[in-house]
Amino acid sequence: MASNPMQQFSVHKIGPEIKISGIDLSFTNASLFMIISASAILFFLFLGSKEKRIIPNKVQLIAELFYTFVAKMISDTAGSKAKPYFPFIFSLFMFVLFCNMVGMIPYSFTVTSHIIVTLIMALFIFIAVTIIGFAKHGLKYLSIFVPSGVPVVLLPLITIIEIISYLSRPVSLSVRLFANMMAGHTMLKVFGGFVISLGLLGGWLPLGFSVALTGLEILVAFLQAYVFAILTCIYLNDALNLHH
Amino acid sequence: MKQYPGLIIALLAIQNDLNAAEAGMPQLDPKYWASQAFWLILVFTILYISIAKFYLPKIKNNLDNRENKIKNDLEDAGKFKELSDSKLKEYKNILEEAKKEVTKIHLETKNQLDKDIKSKKEGIEKEIEKELLKAQKEISELKKGSISNIQKVSESIASNIIEAISGDKLNESSIKAVVDDVSKKNIGKYLK
Repeated sequence: MASNPMQQFSVHKIGPEIKISGIDLSFTNASLFMIISASAILFFLFLGSKEKRIIPNKVQLIAELFYTFVAKMISDTAGSKAKPYFPFIFSLFMFVLFCNMVGMIPYSFTVTSHIIVTLIMALFIFIAVTIIGFAKHGLKYLSIFVPSGVPVVLLPLITIIEIISYLSRPVSLSVRLFANMMAGHTMLKVFGGFVISLGLLGGWLPLGFSVALTGLEILVAFLQAYVFAILTCIYLNDALNLHH
Repeated sequence: MKQYPGLIIALLAIQNDLNAAEAGMPQLDPKYWASQAFWLILVFTILYISIAKFYLPKIKNNLDNRENKIKNDLEDAGKFKELSDSKLKEYKNILEEAKKEVTKIHLETKNQLDKDIKSKKEGIEKEIEKELLKAQKEISELKKGSISNIQKVSESIASNIIEAISGDKLNESSIKAVVDDVSKKNIGKYLK
């Protein structure tokens, strides 16, 4: 019988319990896969920047493609002012992408399918962007809530909507990634369970679905990392270039 | 099993749902939230620092190097192209000048030759004319000389013949008169 499709998301301790002033900070499978993803990124970048070839080899080419991809994304959405934040957005994109992709390996754990992980990233971005906005523009940054060219009658309503939409950014950013990853992996698990329970006769249909879903999930893994990074760029753009 | 796949799928789905409800979403269990947050921040900070400090500058360096190299190469290529264009122009100029010179030399030589030929031809013609005149003169002198010679020879022959026949010697003046007479009548036949 198929196991619980939510089982794959359960976090369990690896090794001894680590408690600092009553807070459980034990090393878990989630921590392990964060480290695996980060190590994979660092290893990949190490290989990609090891040789300084004029004509790049394959790994170097891919690393440079990632570099130019993220650089172009930032300059397209947030302009040249966002250049100092390039390393952060690059790290963010790579981390989310690798966590999503590592999660696609069977029996692995998907770090980004946990709301707490995505929420912390989104909150960090939200707070950082807000601080950058106030640091760059002072109180004028509040004008982001007052779009220009709106009739005065509608202004209070629009401002309230703008404030709500601004405050809901971390929620939408984190829930989008978390829900996408969780839903995809749950679906894969459910269809995988169908293959087993329907056996040789009926299992082919869900197996086909599983194969198709795996392809879709790899696409989603990339797409969500991209969306996460580009939304960060857009928020950054709002903070850097006030043109509301 | 074969007959009711739809029913089985529905049952399985319900069972899965029940299981899920039983276990709940592990994501919403706060037991390990602090741990996840802690490890996320730790891992991401290390990742960020190593990427920002080591890898991105390296990759950027590589990319810049390549861009510079391409730019330099393109510049060099442009320079070489200009150089080759100017060389080509120079070469064409040289060729054109050479052609001009050739035509000039050709023309000069031709004129010179024409002149030479003309002057030589004139000289030769003059000489030929002179020679012709000389020859005509000689011929006419020879003609005159031959007439008087012939008359003398005829006179002696006539006196010899008369002497042989008659035995008498006639006086020379009468013979001369006769020969003159005859030769005046017939000499035109031989000296045309």
